[in-house]
Amino acid sequence: MRPRIVSAAAALHPRWFDSGSAAAPLRKLLRAPTAAAPPIPELWVGVHLPGCGSTQQLEELATCVQRFTPRVSLVLPDGLLLEVKGSLHLFAGVAGLRAELTGDCRRCQLQPVLAFAPTPLAALTAARAGRPLEITAAGQLAGQLAPLPLTALRWPEETLARLARMGVRTIGAVLRLPRAGFARRFGVAQLAMLDQLTGRAPDVRPAFHARERFRRRRDLGCELTVHDRLRTALAPLFTALGAFLTARQCGVVEVECLLMHSQLPATRCLLSLASPCADGQRLAALCSEYLNAMRLPAPVRACELRAEVPVPHVPDSRCLWQPGEHGGDEAAVSGGLVERLRARLGPDAIRGLTLRDGHRPESTWALSGPPSAGPLPVQARRAAAAAACSAHAQWPVFRRPLWILPAPRPLTVRDGWPCRGGPLRLVSEVERIETGWWDEAGIARDYYSATDLHGVRLWVFRERAVPHGWFLHGVFG
Amino acid sequence: MNHPDEAELPPYAELHCLSNFTFLRGASHPHELVEQADALGYRALAITDECSVAGAVRAHMAAKNRRLKLIIGAELRLSCGLKLVALAIDRHGYGRLCRLITRGRRAARKGQYALTRADLEEVNPEQCFILWLPAARPRSEELLWLCGRFPGRVRIAVELLREGADGPRRAALEQIGAQCGVPLIASGDVHMHVRARQRLQDAVTAIRLNVPIAAVGSRLYSNGERYLRERARLARLYPRALLEASAALAEECHFSLDELRYEYPRELVPPGETPASYLRRLTEEGARWRWPGGPPPAERAAIEHELALIAELRYEPYFLTVHDVVAYARSRGILCQGRGSAANSRVCYCLGVTSVDPQRGAALLFERFISRERNEPPDIDIDFEHERREEVLQYVYNKYGRDRAALAATVIMYRPRSALRDLGKVFGLTPAESGRLAKVMQWWDGSTTMPERVRAAGFDEDCLRHLLPLAGELTAFPGFPRHLSQHVGGFVISAGLLEELVPVENAAMPERTVVQWDKDDLNDLGLLKVDLLALGMLTALQRAFALVNDFRGTHHALGELPAEDQRVYDMICRADTIGVFQIESRAQMAMLPRLKPRCYYDLVIEVAIVRPGPIQGDMVHPYLRRRAGAEPVEYPGEEVRAILHRTLGVPIFQEQVMHIAIAAAGFTPGEADALRRAMGAWKRTGGLDPFRERLLQGMHVKGYPEEFAERIYQQMLGFGEFGFPESHAMSFALLVYDSAWLKCHEPAAFTCALLNSQPMGFYAPAQLVRDARAHGVEVRAVDACVSGWDAALERRADGEPSLRLGLRLVKSLSRIGADRLIAARSAQPFASVQDLATRAALDRTDLEALAAAGALASLSGNRHLAFWEVAGFERGLPLAPAAAAGAVEGRPLLSSPTEGEQIVADYASLGLTLGRHPLALLRARLHADSLLPASELARAANGARVRTAGLVLMRQRPATASGVTFLTLEDESGQVNVIVWESVGRAQRRALIESRLLEVHGELQQQDGVIHLIARRLIDRSHLLGGLLARSRDFH
Repeated sequence: MRPRIVSAAAALHPRWFDSGSAAAPLRKLLRAPTAAAPPIPELWVGVHLPGCGSTQQLEELATCVQRFTPRVSLVLPDGLLLEVKGSLHLFAGVAGLRAELTGDCRRCQLQPVLAFAPTPLAALTAARAGRPLEITAAGQLAGQLAPLPLTALRWPEETLARLARMGVRTIGAVLRLPRAGFARRFGVAQLAMLDQLTGRAPDVRPAFHARERFRRRRDLGCELTVHDRLRTALAPLFTALGAFLTARQCGVVEVECLLMHSQLPATRCLLSLASPCADGQRLAALCSEYLNAMRLPAPVRACELRAEVPVPHVPDSRCLWQPGEHGGDEAAVSGGLVERLRARLGPDAIRGLTLRDGHRPESTWALSGPPSAGPLPVQARRAAAAAACSAHAQWPVFRRPLWILPAPRPLTVRDGWPCRGGPLRLVSEVERIETGWWDEAGIARDYYSATDLHGVRLWVFRERAVPHGWFLHGVFG
Repeated sequence: MNHPDEAELPPYAELHCLSNFTFLRGASHPHELVEQADALGYRALAITDECSVAGAVRAHMAAKNRRLKLIIGAELRLSCGLKLVALAIDRHGYGRLCRLITRGRRAARKGQYALTRADLEEVNPEQCFILWLPAARPRSEELLWLCGRFPGRVRIAVELLREGADGPRRAALEQIGAQCGVPLIASGDVHMHVRARQRLQDAVTAIRLNVPIAAVGSRLYSNGERYLRERARLARLYPRALLEASAALAEECHFSLDELRYEYPRELVPPGETPASYLRRLTEEGARWRWPGGPPPAERAAIEHELALIAELRYEPYFLTVHDVVAYARSRGILCQGRGSAANSRVCYCLGVTSVDPQRGAALLFERFISRERNEPPDIDIDFEHERREEVLQYVYNKYGRDRAALAATVIMYRPRSALRDLGKVFGLTPAESGRLAKVMQWWDGSTTMPERVRAAGFDEDCLRHLLPLAGELTAFPGFPRHLSQHVGGFVISAGLLEELVPVENAAMPERTVVQWDKDDLNDLGLLKVDLLALGMLTALQRAFALVNDFRGTHHALGELPAEDQRVYDMICRADTIGVFQIESRAQMAMLPRLKPRCYYDLVIEVAIVRPGPIQGDMVHPYLRRRAGAEPVEYPGEEVRAILHRTLGVPIFQEQVMHIAIAAAGFTPGEADALRRAMGAWKRTGGLDPFRERLLQGMHVKGYPEEFAERIYQQMLGFGEFGFPESHAMSFALLVYDSAWLKCHEPAAFTCALLNSQPMGFYAPAQLVRDARAHGVEVRAVDACVSGWDAALERRADGEPSLRLGLRLVKSLSRIGADRLIAARSAQPFASVQDLATRAALDRTDLEALAAAGALASLSGNRHLAFWEVAGFERGLPLAPAAAAGAVEGRPLLSSPTEGEQIVADYASLGLTLGRHPLALLRARLHADSLLPASELARAANGARVRTAGLVLMRQRPATASGVTFLTLEDESGQVNVIVWESVGRAQRRALIESRLLEVHGELQQQDGVIHLIARRLIDRSHLLGGLLARSRDFH
């Protein structure tokens, strides 16, 4: 059985939304019978938001304007539609609503164009054409729309171009064309759109639902200091999170765990995962790793789990083989290992290594970010293997020491010879490397193998540029 | 270089050296390598470009008169990975090497090659030394294979480049050598002449691999040792024996490019004839054709004289080759005409190579073009109708076979734009940024202004720190080669296998092959080529003659029009020459009212005088003054009187300058010939300085004023690559006269022919049509019910022709669709758009193209209705059920297009309008801004301050005009010529470059009826045009 998590707000709207309760009184009002017979069945506000870049911004605004009406629709990428017939009188009519809506948009750093019309498409089209029309009677609709440019309908460029070549550039001109002829030339879809524009055909818009997130708090009723108890106290929260995610086929890559104290500010513990995870047990185990590495400043009175942005996640399939065996998936293990190590040693303690192609000894390898936990794609694995082989094929690799100093260390020079404790003996011929002139780290050096008094083999170089300094760059094993 | 112990140093010869003709690998020019190797005291240098000898001639020319010995070879990488260098020992070896290169190049697409061991076995490079270039881990199997195939000629190349394992590597190679019994030599895998070129070498490597330099990694060389190293350095690095072995091997190679001998094809002579007797027979036949009553005695004697000279110099096969090509073209009805030094001879006149009637111009002495003393090869260029030249090229390929005929190459050099674009990518700019970087350079900007332009465009200094110096190196004189392309029409035809003379490779165009040398290389080696060029005017003339003859039943043909018609010269003197060959350019038009040509020879001068040579030599004004009688005709000396009297004592033609050098400066004919070559190539080889000394001194001795000598020298510089000889001008003038005659007497047919031969010439169809209408030609619109593909003549009620525009002007109408339409129409006229669409089975693109052009007007009414109608048809289901049943669709309520919309649509689809000029619509607006139309400028006084505006027809920036830009503006009343001085242009560069409608404030200049506006201020008014699509033509 799948546990379902609901809240008071979710009972009203099928969503998980902490500020959703604002819409509740509105709902009641909507249900109340209206007195006068309306001249039009619906009144739509088209909101055109030039410069609105992201879906996220649009969603934020949609969430915000849900205070005017529950019937809000997103029109990607830069438009909103609100059906406001029922709520007009609550906001002092069209003018009042326009003012409030504009205010909301401005708060989201957007400059809106608002238009009111009996059909959603008409409202949106007028707004997109930059005309703040207020069409509140069905009879005015065709007349008011007529001068609007056809481009506001956002038909395909090609269609608009073909119409323009017939001298048809406004909505009025297109509405004058014979219906059958128009449909034959430009398709039934376009005709249907014109019908929706004028209200001849219904225009059903999907309603917007705010994005979900998980937040749950548990008051402990006592003060806990022992980590074990704390784990137990957190366990139901993680179980609930796991169920929440599983029900939505989502996973999280970050979970925030807040531990509240009576006097001090809450202790924050951020679990970061190498790959999306929906497994409450695994999250709980990881959390206890973090707790182990942590010293609590004060006893804990309450705890809260927050997961902000669930991402789509396909649950793992379990492999027949053990990790590391035959087809066993080693990546799943290493992913877990990386997460545990990070939990114990800190987020920056884990680094990856990459090989880089080039002649400069100091840049033939580099630190990379934390290794990705996903299994390597087959090509990448093959490429790595091939790189390793070709590296063996090249001679210089065998002449390079395994241990290269982070930065070359200057050597003292006596009578033109490099010294380290005593004079060094050059035991190889020169290897000249001149490259990298295109960035700040260009080099021009003559490299040699050398032995010092104790017989330690060193890798040293002499700068080709004056003053021809000698440097130690590596030590052979 | 002058090392104290130089004498004790072991001798050395570099046997493995790439020049920058191994494109994007080598980083030094062949001449730089030769000069440096010589300066370092090398015994010899082998230029061994990768599967190529493209740089060999340049190296050869640089090595002349040096003690350094040049060896020709090539580096080859087989598909199995085996790398080797082949060095030609003698002429035979060189031929085999060329064949091998040809084999590899022909087997791959342009710029690539593919060779296998099997190829090497088949095309055995006999008489070549083979240097084995072992891989990082030497595989002795390779060496054994080589020894088996080329016993005794294989050497192991030991290349010690300080990469850290020189010692072990040498030891390993010595061991392999001892095992296989193969001697070792030293070589250096040279990619550049000095170490400082390492950056350039790295950068071109990145360009070649098409990755940013930071990502090239180990594919770059780890150090800069691949240069021509000092011998002392080599002596420390290599055992003496190895260096001496290299020098000894070089001693054994004794091939020089001087040994190449060109032989003409022999098969043109029928059995039983000698070339001389056959040429005589053809000439006799031609003479009977040219002079049906037999040639006049003077001509008879001249022909004998020419034939004797040709026989003495053994040029018969050349004339026979040219005759053969011309005869073929004639048999296929392809119009052609020869020009060049040998073309204007009586023999060529008889052979039909040229139509310049020797009696028409002043009588020419053959020696002026071919001389016994100057051993210069005859030079004949043949122009063909541009649309049919390919047939002639394929004829030559088929006649002689691809192994004996190929086009000359053209070496494409880096220009500022291409250098910036490629280097931009190297330094990690995005393609868009690189494009923007390249765009900051206009075609007229020299490389010297590059840094300032690039900085002005706001690119960050850091990224440019390395980029700009490298771009400077890539574009520096004489230009860094990038790839080989094909010459426009220079054919090399040989008696034997061409690929034993020079390698042949594939060109980008299918069915084309090119040799690896360009025309300068061929010239330098004295190899002969025949230039088969394309000329649009010949196509137009051919068409015009056909139209006129068809319309009027006449028999006009090239060179056979009524001569010296004064009405034609009247028209020319008015500069009423739009569409006329050569003299239609704006500079020529400005010259015509001043020079006032009144006879054929005046046209010869007119063609030659508006050229960089005479202009730079300051010869134009003296000539005009003398012609106008404002200055006496004098000769600076008696020797030059004979040379200059035809041009009133002012040297205008290239030949005159050379003859002056001989007569007045005491040059020997050989020196004059060297001078002629140097004149053509000084931009490439740098400087005529040695000649200057010689010239000034020589003329001084003979008592010529220094100022005259200096002007002659300046003129030589000006001739440069644009040298214009009298012999070419004479042939061109013939076309000038014929085209002017047609324009004067048959303007409808002439315009019709020009329209059908586009793209060609100086003017777009819009100007040609406007000009024709101004001359009273009735021009009728494109009409799907009447027009053919080409423009055509229609007979008016009064029997005169009118011009019907053709469907070819309609943008995006397919040729196949148009052909179907014409076929359907000829079966039965169209009743409606629906009928047209159904019977011609046109697709929507074609239908819309016709509607856009207004070509359906007679069937459907205005454009809007036409579009509505054609939008109703889909190919495959042309008729909706209702329409099929005969139901007529309701007529839609569509507005009529306005005049402005009509004009915009006309321009967009046809590139011209038969309605009013677009500026006529804007006139009220322009008038309000006090902008004068072109017609009123003509009435303004000289020196008046005026303002005008017009569509930019053309921008020109002649190399001779030192930074001045010439603009041609057009409005409804005519054209205005604008001169933009460099400083004005620089300050208002954007308006100058980008405007389509340009407002100009400036000062009027009038001289001899020629009006120029000197611009002070330029304002871009293009926004007034809205959707008008008037693009200018920009010229160098």
